[in-house]
Amino acid sequence: MIMNRKKYASAFMVTILSAVLVMSGCSKSDVSNGNSSSNNKNTAAEGTTGKDSGSGEKIKLKLTGWGSPEEVAAYKFAIQKFEDAHPNVTVDFQAISAGDYDTKLTTMVAGNDAPDVAMMESATIAFPLAEEGKFLNLQDFLAKDQELTLESIVPNITYSLTPGTVIGIGPGPETFGLFYNEDVFKEAGIEPPPSDVSKAWTWDQFVEVAKKLTIDNKGRNAEDPSFDPKNIKQFGINLPTWWGAYSNFIYSNGGDFLSPDGKTFALNQPEAVEVIQKMADLINVHHVAPSPLQSKNIPGTNVALQTKKVAMAIDGQWATAGLAQSKFNYNVGVLPIMKQPVTTVVAGMFSIFKSSKHPQESWELLKALLNPDAAIDVLKAGTWMPAPKDWYTDSEKLAKWTADLPSRPSGYQGAIIDMLLNHSHPTPTAYVKNFNKIMDVVNPALDKVWLGKQTAQEALDAVAAKAQQQVQGRRDVK
Amino acid sequence: MEISAKTGQSAKTAPQKKSSIRERRALFYGLLFTSPAILGFIIYTLGPMIASFYLSLTDYNVFKDKTSFIGLDNYIKLFSGEDELFYKSLGTTFYFVVLRVPAVIIISFFLAILLNMNLKGRSLFRTIIYLPSIVPAVASSMIWMWLMNPDLGLLNTALNWLHLPTSNWLFGEGSVIPSIVLTTLWGIGGTVIIFLAGLSGVPKSYYEAIDVDGGGWYSKLRHITVPMLTPTIFFNTIMTIIGSFQVFSEAYILTQGGPNDRSLFFVFYLWRTAFRDTEMGYASALAWVLFIIIMIFTVFIFKTSKSWVHYEGERQ
Amino acid sequence: MRESRLKLTAGFTALLIVSAMFIVPFLWLLRSSVMDLSQIFIMPPQWIPKPFHFENFKDAMTVVPFGTFFKNTLIIVVGVLIGTVVSSTIAAFGFSRIKWKGRDTIFAILMSAMMLPAAVTLIPSFIGWKELGFYDTFYPLILPSYFGGGIFNIFLLRQFYMSIPQDFDEAAVVDGATYFQIYWRILLPLSRSAVIVVALFTFLASWNDFMGPLIYLKSDSRFTLALGLQMFQGSYNAQWDLLMAASTAVVLPCVIVFLIGQRFFLEGITLTGLKG
Repeated sequence: MIMNRKKYASAFMVTILSAVLVMSGCSKSDVSNGNSSSNNKNTAAEGTTGKDSGSGEKIKLKLTGWGSPEEVAAYKFAIQKFEDAHPNVTVDFQAISAGDYDTKLTTMVAGNDAPDVAMMESATIAFPLAEEGKFLNLQDFLAKDQELTLESIVPNITYSLTPGTVIGIGPGPETFGLFYNEDVFKEAGIEPPPSDVSKAWTWDQFVEVAKKLTIDNKGRNAEDPSFDPKNIKQFGINLPTWWGAYSNFIYSNGGDFLSPDGKTFALNQPEAVEVIQKMADLINVHHVAPSPLQSKNIPGTNVALQTKKVAMAIDGQWATAGLAQSKFNYNVGVLPIMKQPVTTVVAGMFSIFKSSKHPQESWELLKALLNPDAAIDVLKAGTWMPAPKDWYTDSEKLAKWTADLPSRPSGYQGAIIDMLLNHSHPTPTAYVKNFNKIMDVVNPALDKVWLGKQTAQEALDAVAAKAQQQVQGRRDVK
Repeated sequence: MEISAKTGQSAKTAPQKKSSIRERRALFYGLLFTSPAILGFIIYTLGPMIASFYLSLTDYNVFKDKTSFIGLDNYIKLFSGEDELFYKSLGTTFYFVVLRVPAVIIISFFLAILLNMNLKGRSLFRTIIYLPSIVPAVASSMIWMWLMNPDLGLLNTALNWLHLPTSNWLFGEGSVIPSIVLTTLWGIGGTVIIFLAGLSGVPKSYYEAIDVDGGGWYSKLRHITVPMLTPTIFFNTIMTIIGSFQVFSEAYILTQGGPNDRSLFFVFYLWRTAFRDTEMGYASALAWVLFIIIMIFTVFIFKTSKSWVHYEGERQ
Repeated sequence: MRESRLKLTAGFTALLIVSAMFIVPFLWLLRSSVMDLSQIFIMPPQWIPKPFHFENFKDAMTVVPFGTFFKNTLIIVVGVLIGTVVSSTIAAFGFSRIKWKGRDTIFAILMSAMMLPAAVTLIPSFIGWKELGFYDTFYPLILPSYFGGGIFNIFLLRQFYMSIPQDFDEAAVVDGATYFQIYWRILLPLSRSAVIVVALFTFLASWNDFMGPLIYLKSDSRFTLALGLQMFQGSYNAQWDLLMAASTAVVLPCVIVFLIGQRFFLEGITLTGLKG
């Protein structure tokens, strides 16, 4: 590839250079200041890394990531602390908007301008990069490190290309819970969802409550025979239909995306089909859930619960940030259980590019980015959860990010923390090879199920052969 | 300077026909005036275009260290039917183009005529029509999601209230494309403005002549406004077609191609192939297919334009 | 001038209805910019915020270095604006008012620039600029505008130039005017409203351009407002209240520029009216 790239790059260069000559002839200095050209040299020198400054080797690390201003502030704080501890290292942090991160990073990699450390998303380009050997195996560092080991962090936030390797470590987990408006339950005189996993609702109990809390514009609930499903004032449950949400129940029912050996597409198996059908029935049969929205980026849960448009909502832990700001009585319970209690863990990850000239320093930077102390504001706000296990088990550390905070209601310990520590399952994007291509086949089929056009069995059987063609195995089995 | 010397030469080497001094002078100045644009095209556009065409003949994957030349394999895969989404997304895009282009041209034409009337507050009206084109997509897309929410959205609430049938809008298989067309109609401000600029070039005396003849509103439209605006109609039609074929952000922001791939537009599929699946070589082949399609449409319209576009400056 | 009262009233009413629909997104943005996060998405929507959260603007400005971004955006926009207006009017003249061999063929080839989806030229372009050492400078964003200013603009202006009767040129040629004088003295003044449209579109496109700065810039000291707007979106949720406030602040200059710009349309009419 390098050859090809050089070829067209040089053709391009010749043409541009001639233009530049013309331009400099009638030089009009459109660009702000002389600063830009000198800076430009810096970036050029960066590639060959400064060995220029004599004794103490000056190192510059490039880091890319995404995040909201508060998340970026957390990273900047962590970087500051890291730079203080490593005076010879400066970190050049590039915050890129989340929606365009992959485009930008792909372009950077194509232009041989990959960062040293990068935040990555398991559902997009992390594994394509890893499969081409672009990342270091972090297992080598984890094995040697005194502080950061696989045992010191919460389960299911590392990503492996093959068993025994680690290509990325998440800055923190995110799990799923059943959020609800306490006032709605009080007014209806119904017992709210339990936060203790041993008392968790079965699916049928859950449906029953959802029916009682779905009310039409004449005040009749969904159990009333004259209930009018066309004019619903309050829905029992808000149901996101992306894979993250339904994966919880598939795992709980003993199902999976692929068979245990990774050879067979498994979403058309009874365990998975039952779950998809039951979820779709909430919308189309019981009329207790509004039609699903395509995008998971719509700020739904806090407003929907606050305005009593819905009584309960299945959502990720991150919803607590918005809920905390909405100033109403909300709480969280464990998700209803099919066969066993499970929550899927989703997380971003930090990876180190193999092209980095300073792997050890990059590892130190990665560790600094995982430090919850730096991110304490985001933890308290509700958006994040910490990565180190002792921040959950050590009561003093736990209090730092959970005690007396609007983002951490009374059910949080049971429904979120205990579930994460004891009943968590890795995200399918971590172990299903070719996940996106499989889902490109599955998602359209599921749309028909959510819209009530087909049963889950019909829809999934119809695409099973096509999905099977995309199956390439599991990353967690040899 | 280089260019002018060269052209002088090429004109000399072709002396078979008596190229008059005037023609040569025209060629020289024609090239002189257009040379920055031609140069710009060669520098900024041609290079990347050639590169992408070359890549369409390879299995280029940005992250792979090896790229091999595979000839027409990408194109064969496209047309052989192995890639169902190719035909599906192409069909979706055609449907969108067919639905959107006439709507945009007709609505913006009549809006421009309204905005060109001597009305009170017309500058405010013009600004308001253009406002949606300025509002950032992140903000406006949120409005659409909420207006078109099947259960809670304003549109269905209003339809219910009027006892009219409701729609699933962006979330229904049949309604998603018309709904997206509807959202893009809010962005026709640019087209309207171009029509307005065209209208400003129509001399008032022409209309007065019709007034003298006792012609009415329709005969003004038929005999003056439309013929005088054909260059602008031509421009807006071509640009709307090119733009509609390349529809992307609506799928990217609003629907992610769903439901059931019904809004999987060609460029969205292309983008997904290029940047999510990182199959840049294949994506380049997709891009060149679309390039050819748009080219055919554009050339066709250019060819027919001689019979219906009327240039005041080209009268012989 | 002679439009009947009835017709004016009908037109006014029609515009009022259309405007009411078209102003919704902007009003939604405006009121969201001074709302609490929890109020923005309430259904049915509230049109009057209570209370007003004007501090959203202050917070948005502190989170994102607005001053720097504004300065950068302005440098790029002004650079692009000058380049585009000058070079596209000249090129359009060459493609419409001078008859030369191969003119329409070359024009058609230039048109092809608009037909290839940008997704596949993004990486080659990036590599080209980077090899030249122009990564993280404004050059990739400004320089191309001096070479034709985009085929869209050339095409638009060409259409207008071709609509202007040749009589003017011919008279000027008889008087011994050069092509440049015809361009400068006749074509530019007569196509004023089209040039203003080009300037307006260029301003807005450059002001809101997101992909270019995203790919070619990397230091946040060089970021533009459009890039800054994206910074409010996080991994799991966005700070919608601040995003809406920042969007409003970014959009308002555009609205003002447009209000001023469109006034020139009115002048354009009287101008051609006199000559015609």
